[in-house]
Amino acid sequence: MDISMFSIILFFISFFGVLFSNNIIKTIISVLIMQTATVLFWLTLNVTGTTPEAPIIYDPALLDDIQIIADPVPQSATITAIIIGFAVSAIVITMFNSMCRQYGTADWETMERLATGGVD
Amino acid sequence: MLPFFVIGPVLVAVILFITSGNRIMQALSVVFQAGLLAASVWLLIQTRETVVYFNIGDYDSLLGIVLRANSLSAVFVFLTAFIFLAIFIFTYKDKREQYMFRFLLFILEAALIGLFLTGDFFNIFVLVEVSTLVIVILTMYDRERRNVFYGKIFLLLNIVAIQFFLLGLGYLYRLTGVLNLAAATEILATTDKSDLVLPYTLIMTAVAFKCSLIPFFSWLPKVRLYPGAPSGVAAILSGLQIKSAIYIYICFSDLFSPVAAPELFVVLGIIMGLFGAVMAFCQTDIKLLLAYSTISQVGLIMIGLNSGCEYSRIGGLYHIVNHAVFKTTLFLCASVIIRVYGTADITRIRGVFKRMPVVSVAAFLAVLGIIGAPFFNGSISKYFITYDIPQWLYAVVIVLSLCTIVYYYKFSVMFTGKADNSDIEIEKCWVAPIAFLGVTRLAGGIFGPQIIEFFFRYPVSINAFGYFQKTMIFFASVAAGFWIFKYADKIRWLESLGSLRAGFKTLCGSLLVFFIVMTLYVGL
Repeated sequence: MDISMFSIILFFISFFGVLFSNNIIKTIISVLIMQTATVLFWLTLNVTGTTPEAPIIYDPALLDDIQIIADPVPQSATITAIIIGFAVSAIVITMFNSMCRQYGTADWETMERLATGGVD
Repeated sequence: MLPFFVIGPVLVAVILFITSGNRIMQALSVVFQAGLLAASVWLLIQTRETVVYFNIGDYDSLLGIVLRANSLSAVFVFLTAFIFLAIFIFTYKDKREQYMFRFLLFILEAALIGLFLTGDFFNIFVLVEVSTLVIVILTMYDRERRNVFYGKIFLLLNIVAIQFFLLGLGYLYRLTGVLNLAAATEILATTDKSDLVLPYTLIMTAVAFKCSLIPFFSWLPKVRLYPGAPSGVAAILSGLQIKSAIYIYICFSDLFSPVAAPELFVVLGIIMGLFGAVMAFCQTDIKLLLAYSTISQVGLIMIGLNSGCEYSRIGGLYHIVNHAVFKTTLFLCASVIIRVYGTADITRIRGVFKRMPVVSVAAFLAVLGIIGAPFFNGSISKYFITYDIPQWLYAVVIVLSLCTIVYYYKFSVMFTGKADNSDIEIEKCWVAPIAFLGVTRLAGGIFGPQIIEFFFRYPVSINAFGYFQKTMIFFASVAAGFWIFKYADKIRWLESLGSLRAGFKTLCGSLLVFFIVMTLYVGL
């Protein structure tokens, strides 16, 4: 199967994980898998066979030797995305950790009831 | 010159952090902010003639990171600098750990300005993430327990939405092979339309989420963040953060103009406009009322931007500027009132005018602006939004204005009545920015056409007869609004509607449903 197709399927599987998990840890894990799927999709972009579309600048003299070229731009972009994803998930997990210690639960509904005091 | 707008705030933030609350440095940071405002005026004048470019590291514009300022982004940069200056002055004497708070505010400002100036779409993603992260931390700054919970939901939802955005950008990159917005626009004009559907819907799902447009739940956690957020942050959330999302919306709907579906966003604008207004009326918390009012006004802006008429679009753009300024005024006023009275319950606050005349007058000017009273800026933008749109849409906008008037009656009631004694002193640094912002409302109305010409380089003129006609409609709606307010205020079940809530899974579900509906609509 094509890897980019696989990454799309993985994306939606993890989305359903987000939709149907009651446990906050499972939700966070699903979101992280979602990020991984997106990164995988970016990495499969513009990997070309014989006709290199990328990188944008190329040296014609080099083309004779190289048969498969992967575009470097998505790679640098995904590194940025991974770093940002790391920062964001670190904060989410820290928030979860402190709330979990305070309320002693990892269940969405129970935590909502406790955190908002049942009133609006 | 352009990198200065992004680097400058970051450097000041770092210096503030290192000197950890040195008084002189604090004062200097406000001076720096004033300088940034002056520089943004310079940028506005520069971009009147040409688009200003800056290639970081002197690489080719297709390879390197490009900063570019066109007339639209210059307006947004100016708006950001202006509102942040007001907030820095407002929070000048706050007692909490000042330098940390300022540090985060400056980082947020850098991220927002970078968002408006960047010329490639991957950086838009990066800066959206950074600004979301900073704003979530800022809203939890007071460690209010409800805010920590809703902040977590808000952040997780944003990560989910931004993954849609990133996936859409991946498709876009696959089609174009460039990250540069200008180059991508050229390439997409010749691309097959059916290839564009999926990237368009993926990106627009995330952007509509960011604009709080998706019916019916996605904006709930954001709205819930307002009551516990520090005063300045609530103003930024509604004054600037939503505006940055609208800026991204404008960028990407230009980019995808071959497949764009503006009529869908007009419908969304109408739904959210009316729904936000009804929800605003159901609230008893001042900040919640103002927050729902923002959602309603974003609906109005969306109607203006997407109706496909020239004047209406200009009116929508001008309403973005106006709304940012009057909502900031109202939030700052609300936080002064909450501090003085010690409660946010609108039914228990009375006699604000007797106790704080200057703040009340400024708030009242902002209310007049938002409901579109003649000679105020809101009337100018509403005049242009309704200038050349179809009749049925005009009727919708009139109903929307009527709803706005009704819930601002509820807001204005607290200015009346007797004041009881209180010993809380009102700081000068609270009153000064509020009063100044209030007066700009009147200036924005009287010099409306000139300001539109200056900001958007689009010469407009006001037809005296048409304006008079709209003024008559306004007075009729004020009268009708009072009657509706008297009647609706007695209905009990509205209050239970106001406390609508939804869990995280419902919110994600609405995102998915929106994506599917939009893909089907655009694809078929």
